[in-house]
Amino acid sequence: MTTAPNNLPPGNLPPGGYVHREPSALRKALPWIIGVVVLALIGWLGAALVDSLKDKQKSFSIYYVDRGWVRFLLFLLAASGVLALTSLLGQRIGMARTGRRISYAAVLGDQLTHLFLILVVLIAIYPLFYVLIAAFDPRNSLFAFPDFGNPNIFYKTGLLPDLKQLNLENFAKLFEGVTIPAWQLLLAVIGGAALAAVLISLIVSKVGRDTDALANVRAWGLRVLVAALAVLVIFMGPAQFTGGSNESKFLLSVRNTLLVSGLTGVLAILLSTTAGYAMARLRFPGRFQMLLFFIFIQMFPVFLALVAVFKLLTDLGLGNTFAGLILAYSGGAIAFNTWIFKGYVESLPESLEEAAMVDGATRWQTFTRVVLPLSRGMLVFIFLNQFIGTYAEFILASILMTGVEHWTVGVMLRSFTSGQFSTKWGVFAAAATLGALPIVGLFYGFQNFFVGGAVAGGVKE
Amino acid sequence: MTTLSPPRSRTAVPPQGSRGILLALLILAALMGASVLIGWLLSTLAAQVVPGAPAYLLLVFTVVSLLVLAPLTHRAFPWITNWFYLLPALVFILAFTVLPVVLTVNYAFTNYSGQNSGNPDSAARQDATLSSDRRTVTLSGLTGSAQEYLNCAAPNCAGATLVLYDEDASVPYRVKVASAQGNAFTLAAPTPESVQVAQATRINKISYVGLANFQEIFGKASRALWPVFLWTVIFAFSTIVLNSVAGLILGILLYNKRLKGRNVYRTLLFLPWAIPTVISVQMWVALFNQQFGIVNKSLGLLGIVAIPWLNDPLWAKISILMVNLWLGFPYMMTATISALSTINDDLYEAAEIDGASRWQQITGITLPLLRNSFTPILLSGFAFNFNNFGIIYLLTAGGPAQEGRESTAQSTDILLSWGYNTAFVSAGGQNFALASAIALIIFFLTLAISIVNFKAAGVFEEARK
Repeated sequence: MTTAPNNLPPGNLPPGGYVHREPSALRKALPWIIGVVVLALIGWLGAALVDSLKDKQKSFSIYYVDRGWVRFLLFLLAASGVLALTSLLGQRIGMARTGRRISYAAVLGDQLTHLFLILVVLIAIYPLFYVLIAAFDPRNSLFAFPDFGNPNIFYKTGLLPDLKQLNLENFAKLFEGVTIPAWQLLLAVIGGAALAAVLISLIVSKVGRDTDALANVRAWGLRVLVAALAVLVIFMGPAQFTGGSNESKFLLSVRNTLLVSGLTGVLAILLSTTAGYAMARLRFPGRFQMLLFFIFIQMFPVFLALVAVFKLLTDLGLGNTFAGLILAYSGGAIAFNTWIFKGYVESLPESLEEAAMVDGATRWQTFTRVVLPLSRGMLVFIFLNQFIGTYAEFILASILMTGVEHWTVGVMLRSFTSGQFSTKWGVFAAAATLGALPIVGLFYGFQNFFVGGAVAGGVKE
Repeated sequence: MTTLSPPRSRTAVPPQGSRGILLALLILAALMGASVLIGWLLSTLAAQVVPGAPAYLLLVFTVVSLLVLAPLTHRAFPWITNWFYLLPALVFILAFTVLPVVLTVNYAFTNYSGQNSGNPDSAARQDATLSSDRRTVTLSGLTGSAQEYLNCAAPNCAGATLVLYDEDASVPYRVKVASAQGNAFTLAAPTPESVQVAQATRINKISYVGLANFQEIFGKASRALWPVFLWTVIFAFSTIVLNSVAGLILGILLYNKRLKGRNVYRTLLFLPWAIPTVISVQMWVALFNQQFGIVNKSLGLLGIVAIPWLNDPLWAKISILMVNLWLGFPYMMTATISALSTINDDLYEAAEIDGASRWQQITGITLPLLRNSFTPILLSGFAFNFNNFGIIYLLTAGGPAQEGRESTAQSTDILLSWGYNTAFVSAGGQNFALASAIALIIFFLTLAISIVNFKAAGVFEEARK
């Protein structure tokens, strides 16, 4: 450890301004002590866990491979060996071709990194793949034994899907008895076309050059898409869903969730931008205190105030209405968004606003004509963040909204898994796939917003 | 204090100091109070004129009168404009955060529960007869005294409330008692002709009980509060450690510019973050099924016995940490990559020239420089997971049951889910007051964590800026 010499006056610094001081023995030993303690803890935990498994039943014997882990380790060893050979080959070929010295350790390290990352990706992504396959598997049960007769143990356990069995039966159940009038179909087609146009222009701009025309197409495509979606969401109603089962109302729950999340997102922007701007730019007594108040009132676990929220909304006649749910969500969304927007406005150059004010603009005009147009990206982030957060919310919705026609996606999905006999596995998988798609799409579409914004938010929160 | 001369009060310069704050708050309070009052008056009027007018008209009228009154206030005090920027947020926070919080704090000192809900007690219903002057109700079946029955302070029960029902027992009609004698209750006013009295009952009053809820919590602390608190801290802490270690390893591996296809890995590993937790956690419940879940099937292939993931107190804790790791590592990985991109490459080049190995570069350059940007992320992560109710509720719902615990505080319950169970799950008996007391305790704990958190992240300096 090297430390900057705080105690030396600046004049006494050696050239380079840096002295090396040996850290104390305790300081040096600290990582080792922590390491030993952590290892001991892990060892104790592992022993306790292994102990708890003694005389536990094995899984069904058709899935059980005695000493399977030895085979797995052997496989890893063999794979590493193959990689060591190919790395050697690659290193030699590379050196012969470029004529430069290439370190064998670096090449092997990269290869082993690939092996490790592939394993991590497999473990992390496989559950999603499994659910995706289950969505297309009509046998509709987690508890079904897959192919008994298949000699391959991967197929026998169901780890690998039997592709011949797959069809769209689960999805059909979700859309049973749904009547969609022609104008909604038309809107959906328009929205789909706009989405396609946006995606195609994105691909073209990635492959070739990005031109103004392409950017224009994207901007208009997005506008048309949002408008078509908004009209669809607002005017779709429970009357269109004539199916008797809960799962046939899945599309309605998606519509409900989109409605609630979208309006909450808009409300979050409306309520937090003026406050964030005032906190960043206006200087008046009480500003700091208000900011602290905003931050600290947010510490109260709002959903333990749920009893009070519920009573309040019921007394206002808003119990079991979307308006009530939106109001309850928005109350909890303001402080964080105000803080984020304040930070953003502070990062803008103040000279722009000063120039506008010199030209005779009032504060309000400066805010609406200078600051807001500049912060379009931030507004998108606030909206999306709120939208996604609300989409994934479950508790408030499950307590405030009763009746299947008012359910949101989370509540609907919960009803598939928490039933007395939780056997609607296939339907759950199909609904989870469809329900996650819009959010996954948004996340990847606006990836940079989230990477930047979430990290910045984490730093600031 | 100096008195303000009229021209000065019309300036746009706000009065300074704490006097300025108080004055502003006073004006805003008056403005909002007046709006609510007008809104309430108008909505009552509307309810009189149009029966069945919705109750939320109160909100509409309040907002309208706020819109009318605000410009008038502005003419009297031009400097208040600054505060008007805060007004939308402030009104909302007051109505939908502060008001419920105040009510909750209030409930913490009462006996409010599913039973003591301020509603008529249908279990204590008695046959009743009304005298001919419609002023005396006689409960023929009453065994104890009237004071006991109505649970009132004064022996003659003056001012207590009795609820009358007709034959169908459908519409309750509340009357005030003037005095009680034996099993006869004299009412303060004659009952209207429209009410055909057949039965009567009492109201389950919400009454103040002082610190009884807190006494209950701390009295049974060894069966609920301490173990739950301990697990909450362990849960939040281990989650942060596990997630950040996994995120750091993957982030450092993926930041290696030589590595081909690192964007593919990054995109794929991003996926768990992109899926709404309400969906992915429920997915894990199915995957962790002891007999049929794919996790145990895969482990069976490795020759490992079927692990009781969600059915054993210890393994359930491990499962929660593992699912939280799966949910949280992409965020930490992304944060690591972003933080790494701010480190100057020259440092590594210099270290390489000086002959430092890759491992020495990581421990000597990367980790120390990451500390600055990671401290606030870790602290806010701890605060978030301290109250991460969603994963607990959806994955294990607090279970499995553990001996020697309250039925609302099982092996994987964190503080917040304990409070939730107390209020909303049948095992807790809908004890809203106790849950509110728990909420208050959680609030102070969260506050303490957040103050440390804000100090470390420099929030106070940034706010004061």
